[in-house]
Amino acid sequence: MKIRSLEGLEDIKKKGLALTYPDKMKVMVGMATCGISAGADKVYDALAARIAELGLDVVLEKTGCIGFCQREPLVDVVYPKKVRLSYQAMTPEKAVALVDALSRNEVYPENLLCRIDQEDILVEGEVRPYANPHPPRLDVDTPRYEDVPFFGKQVKIALRNCGFIHPERIEEYIGRGGYRALHRVLANMTPEEVIAEVKSSGLRGRGGAGFPTGQKWDFARKNDSDEKFVICNADEGDPGAFMDRGILEGDPHAVIEGMAIGAYAIGAREGFIYCRAEYPLAIHRLKIALKQAEDFGLLGDRIFGTNFSFKLEIREGAGAFVCGEETSLIASIEGKVGEPRPRPPFPAQSGLWGKPTIINNVKTWSHIAPIIMRGAAWYSGFGTDKAPGTTVFALVGKVNNTGLVEIPLGMTLREMIYDIGGGIAGGREFKAVQTGGPSGGCIPAEFLDTPVDYESLGALGSIMGSGGMIVMDERDCMVNVAKYFIEFTQDESCGKCTPCREGTQRLGEMLEAITAGKGAESDIDKLVKMSELIKKTSLCGLGQTAPNPVLSTIRYFRDEYLAHVLEHKCPAKVCKPLITFHILEDACTGCQLCRLKCPAEAVLGEKKEPHRIIQEKCIKCGTCYEGCKFDAIVVE
Amino acid sequence: MDPAKCTGCGTCLDVCPVRYEVQLPDADARCRAAYAQATDELVVTGIINSHRDRRGNLLPILLDVNRHFNWLPRPALEQISDELKIPLAEILRVASFYNAFSLVPRGKHIINVCLGTGCFVKGSPRLLEALERELGIKHGGTTADMLFTLEVVRCIGCCALAPAMRVGDDTYGRLTPGMIPKILKSYAESSAGATAEGEAAG
Repeated sequence: MKIRSLEGLEDIKKKGLALTYPDKMKVMVGMATCGISAGADKVYDALAARIAELGLDVVLEKTGCIGFCQREPLVDVVYPKKVRLSYQAMTPEKAVALVDALSRNEVYPENLLCRIDQEDILVEGEVRPYANPHPPRLDVDTPRYEDVPFFGKQVKIALRNCGFIHPERIEEYIGRGGYRALHRVLANMTPEEVIAEVKSSGLRGRGGAGFPTGQKWDFARKNDSDEKFVICNADEGDPGAFMDRGILEGDPHAVIEGMAIGAYAIGAREGFIYCRAEYPLAIHRLKIALKQAEDFGLLGDRIFGTNFSFKLEIREGAGAFVCGEETSLIASIEGKVGEPRPRPPFPAQSGLWGKPTIINNVKTWSHIAPIIMRGAAWYSGFGTDKAPGTTVFALVGKVNNTGLVEIPLGMTLREMIYDIGGGIAGGREFKAVQTGGPSGGCIPAEFLDTPVDYESLGALGSIMGSGGMIVMDERDCMVNVAKYFIEFTQDESCGKCTPCREGTQRLGEMLEAITAGKGAESDIDKLVKMSELIKKTSLCGLGQTAPNPVLSTIRYFRDEYLAHVLEHKCPAKVCKPLITFHILEDACTGCQLCRLKCPAEAVLGEKKEPHRIIQEKCIKCGTCYEGCKFDAIVVE
Repeated sequence: MDPAKCTGCGTCLDVCPVRYEVQLPDADARCRAAYAQATDELVVTGIINSHRDRRGNLLPILLDVNRHFNWLPRPALEQISDELKIPLAEILRVASFYNAFSLVPRGKHIINVCLGTGCFVKGSPRLLEALERELGIKHGGTTADMLFTLEVVRCIGCCALAPAMRVGDDTYGRLTPGMIPKILKSYAESSAGATAEGEAAG
């Protein structure tokens, strides 16, 4: 059934709302990759089995990730016209108990995370209360969604539907105002007006470099080529980042609608979504979304009965980090080796098959529909003057609350790590936060009050990047972290230009020597010199930014480098050649746990007698250290 | 072209004014390596046909073939070369560039240990060591019984539940090295069970 008019869209919207907010009890399970790896599939199966067993009239649904991955598996129960309750860290056993409670018309009291009284229908600027009357009378002892620090400080624009709709149903996306922006653009706006709106919103590319999106579109619009393309860069290669996966798995239509609007604006009739093969679930859900959009006539020929036609295709990546760079990505779609080429010409002038091409990141595309519906002024009300709007970060590493967070730009690192992230796990000391993946840098504690935006992070020697934010604590060795990133870029360097191919190799060798205690003090200056050279002379963004992790760690953690080269010590006790494991005789109870667990049979000792470690045999795997219940094992 | 000197760099392809046309050996004269099973050729033909009319179809075809066989067998590459009229050297260049492709046979279960930053700071190198010890192979290797191939991946996007790994299509999060033996055992047993059932049925 093709939708041809606003009325047609309204009809589907009603159907979608009935699916999202049914008249009966509804149970939703967060089933993105993170949820599933935490056991959400088993929870879902347990819920389904118990509901069927008891013959309950309850709707059981899958949904995307609401972002609080730390507390997965998440289960939500919607009591029609009352409230929605979120449950955290669910297990199959607790799922059964939850269904039992529902069958008795009771509220399951355990594992509650929060209650949601109302939802923002963002693109339409409406608030939809669950409760009737509102505010609800409720005797459940749990905080409100807004009062949970993890959620309260967030502003969800790109993530507006994640965790609220079934990502495999276009009706639910339309129910929350989806494809209204596309209709508005096709019915009431010229391409120039669309570009003007995006320009005045101040939206900048969320892939990392922060180029103004409207300006990029304008370049492609002004080119009078017979064929143009739009591409979505979903090759989220940065290690420690999963924002794009979250959006594609939770709300794929947000990207599709944004791309259709972009295609109309620049005059393209064809588009590609380049998604990395490491995200099978995202690709699966994208395929479903594309099929549905085609069935409803929202992709394909003469969309909404206008002269605008747009075809969209998914291309899978094949595991090459450099393909996140736009010219490499284009080469990869063309079926070639994913090597970059010098710019200019920029893809907006000569891109895919030599035609003008616009490449934007998943997050950038998913901002487009809200900007059209709510207006540029509304959007630029968030964030800072130079960087308006919001952006999505994957907050991971040693914080208490890991997950996907969307914040207005300009929020400080401290607010992100301590308010949203809940501080450092295990009560340890904060050491550094890493942004921008292998192209970024490590920011130390003294700069925690820096606002998060393109320029401020750049000034600290890091970059905004696509949104990975990895928090490190006192147990992370910064030299080892630098080595990790250089090994990464060394592996992923395509080999086309010498500075990147050979330079990262040399940096890696020097860092390897330092972490083995074989470095010299002069090596530190050599590292800096070579890093500067690689930055200046590499062909593409990968090489030009690859030394950033080395430079920033030397800049802020020089004393750690010095400890490695002068004292041959690793202060964080990470670098294996520089540490030894010992058993404290007084603390050891002779429980035999370490002896039994040691994979190298390096622990000796009788039961109830203090044990000792044979240093020659020890492979320094840390199994004994992690396992000891009496803190009897020390690292020196 | 002098085959002894050619490095397969592909530069001539980019500059050749009659692109691809002059470089193909006579189709009849060329003898392709044989498939392990006769039906394999039909599978590859089917994959090629499903992508035939799309521009830039080499990568999607290679991905599908790689998924079907778990690696890229030589006869399949030669067949693709013949049908798409792309020189084998160029196909090999693409196949060896991307991490997803393997030019050697891989085990039944492919284990991908995530070495993304999130997993790295939460101890995935130790996870990898435990797997290497348990399987008796280094990463990149395959066990002698062709059951497991151990690979590393730079981020599967499961950072919030780090450290994580993927075995086939199953993702595991919040792992400790101590959990490895049990997980491996479950796959070894399910494979052994399947073989026993197959034999009983046969």
